[in-house]
Amino acid sequence: MDKNFAGDSNPRPKWRKVAYGGMQIGYDDNYTDESFLEEMVMNANVVRRNLLKVMKDSVSISQYLCIVALVVLVWVHTLESSLDENSLLVLDLSLLASGFLILLLTEEKMLSLSLLLRYLLNISFFTTGLYILAPIYQTLTRSISSDSIWAVTVSLLLLHLFLHDYSGSTIKAPGALKHPNLTSCISLNASVVASVFVASRLPSRLHVFAVMLFSLQVFLFAPLVTYCIKKFSFGLHLLFSFALMGLTLYSVYALHKLFFLVFLFLVLLVNVVCPYWLIKMQEYKFEINGPWDEAKLCFDITD
Amino acid sequence: MAEPPKLRVLMVSDFFFPNFGGVENHIYYLSQCLLKLGHKVVVMTHAYGNRSGVRYMTGGLKVYYVPWRPFVMQTTFPTVYGTLPIVRTILRREKITVVHGHQAFSTLCHEALMHARTMGYKVVFTDHSLYGFADVGSIHMNKVLQFSLADIDQAICVSHTSKENTVLRSGLSPAKVFMIPNAVDTAMFKPASVRPSTDVITIVVISRLVYRKGADLLVEVIPKVCRLYPNVRFVVGGDGPKHVRLEEMREKHSLQDRVEMLGAVPHSRVRSVLITGHVFLNSSLTEAFCIAILEAASCGLLTVSTRVGGVPEACNVLPDDMVVLAEPDPDDMVRAIEKAISILPSINPEEMHNRMKKLYSWQDVAKRTEIVYDRALKCSNRNLLERLSRYLSCGAWAGKLFCMVMIVDYLLWRLLQLLQPDEDIEEAPDIFLHHHGEKIN
Repeated sequence: MDKNFAGDSNPRPKWRKVAYGGMQIGYDDNYTDESFLEEMVMNANVVRRNLLKVMKDSVSISQYLCIVALVVLVWVHTLESSLDENSLLVLDLSLLASGFLILLLTEEKMLSLSLLLRYLLNISFFTTGLYILAPIYQTLTRSISSDSIWAVTVSLLLLHLFLHDYSGSTIKAPGALKHPNLTSCISLNASVVASVFVASRLPSRLHVFAVMLFSLQVFLFAPLVTYCIKKFSFGLHLLFSFALMGLTLYSVYALHKLFFLVFLFLVLLVNVVCPYWLIKMQEYKFEINGPWDEAKLCFDITD
Repeated sequence: MAEPPKLRVLMVSDFFFPNFGGVENHIYYLSQCLLKLGHKVVVMTHAYGNRSGVRYMTGGLKVYYVPWRPFVMQTTFPTVYGTLPIVRTILRREKITVVHGHQAFSTLCHEALMHARTMGYKVVFTDHSLYGFADVGSIHMNKVLQFSLADIDQAICVSHTSKENTVLRSGLSPAKVFMIPNAVDTAMFKPASVRPSTDVITIVVISRLVYRKGADLLVEVIPKVCRLYPNVRFVVGGDGPKHVRLEEMREKHSLQDRVEMLGAVPHSRVRSVLITGHVFLNSSLTEAFCIAILEAASCGLLTVSTRVGGVPEACNVLPDDMVVLAEPDPDDMVRAIEKAISILPSINPEEMHNRMKKLYSWQDVAKRTEIVYDRALKCSNRNLLERLSRYLSCGAWAGKLFCMVMIVDYLLWRLLQLLQPDEDIEEAPDIFLHHHGEKIN
């Protein structure tokens, strides 16, 4: 009997995604099934960001920039002798008092009397130690030229700004969970060294003590105070930041027009341009996960 | 009168004997089977200690230990053009037709592939590992791989998961990638003639004790299993940084008599360690293709393994017949070991070994690789300008950089041809070792 139509004598078996058994009959080794890459997961853990939220978060950065700018302004005025040591001491005391007040109001755990007394004791030790050591700072850099001092101070301040922890505080607030990491400790040390260098250029011991106290107060405690304000109420934080920005811009304008323009440009860059850029770049995000990923251990390795 | 070999293959990799590992084994066994099929195979690798120069291995396999020092993790120092003269000399001397590179981590492999392409040879690449995409090291490695594979003729991967991973990392078209798995030398890995008694169940672990191979999972699993089953003992072979943690675990739970630590086990002794056991435990966190499981199954052991990477494809013979899979989680692994112990009486090692002989063999791998070589040889020759357009598509800046690298390579090659013309390179005579009807498994 002739079979005029030749049907498929052996329809090839279904392709299986297995490695054993040699070549699969009817399929080449480079056969690509529709199930190719079907277990790939794209952008599973990516956080989608919102422009307004990013801009609001960037206010913390510009707020800290303003604080550092104000410190530099006070240094410049002191070095030019337009700010004398008594007014500086008054400024120090008022800053200390207002900082304490803000902490008391925003942090419930501070209200216990024993904790308060302990803090007051620590601060008085600190201030006394600083007063006693002031002569050392005064003569520290007498043999170094002014240009080197300014150059080192500027670079240390830049380092401080780069490595600063903008989301938290290096000095732990009572009850804060985050431990300070290496970069935030480096930035704190850089700012302290910068203030020592600037203080060593001043004429009298009282000057040195006042400026050191001011700088250390701000660099050590300003992040803590702003962190507490932010935790207490976000609206208050925004209000405080804008007030600070206004004060800084006015003061820089009074000092030098060019610096004012540069500072304004910097604030706009941080608050407006960078968030927009970040959101624009989000569309290029391509995170790939799949069966080839190394498995994650679900327990902690305790040595 | 012997006929001239049909194909002349150069295997290039940083990883070869006397180093031990999956890639080394693969190259060696594949080369041996290709030699038996009548082709000519030459291996090129870097010098290991004092072992430098030309050596001959079994079957007439010629190995060039090029005098370059390894600098980190057995890979040679990357000097993009430094290997051009020696690669050219080897390719001309042995009259090579196909260059086959192994392992993405090997710098020698990438350089040799680049030079081979410049000189117009056909190129094949095999990838043996899985890599991620997220960390800095992987990003750079993937870019280098994209460069290497931009102009390749064919590629081979050892599992389907590995194929997907390679295609995503390098941007190759999937039709160019062949899936050819590894195999196991079933003649060497035979089960014990007398099966050890099942009064005391022995669980064998042989792996490098590093994070990637799941040594931390072992530290969690071993005490749990020892507590549940008083008649189970463990034999742990292999060495590595996590050795200390395992020792601590032994002391903490007083398991010195139930957990035996053998230290590093040389490859020749692996079988003798395996046949003392009933169950093989593999706890790695990522695995493109696990040869260790195949070796254990060939010795008649029941395997418990983590379900990662290419392991499910290699082992889904019949559900839970030869392998019990578990998630990389200690409790799930303990459950899997319990299941393995319960089905242990029904396992017949000889039958398992015979089944493995049919499922995996190096001859099959060699034949499939031959098909890939033939395909590669059929690919059209491209001149420099056409090839440069392939490199340009690698990226906005990277594409132009790669083009510059290839142009300089081409110019250096022409310079070398001027200084030492092709005809002046002495061609090595072919050696034929005749095997009359001898088969290796």
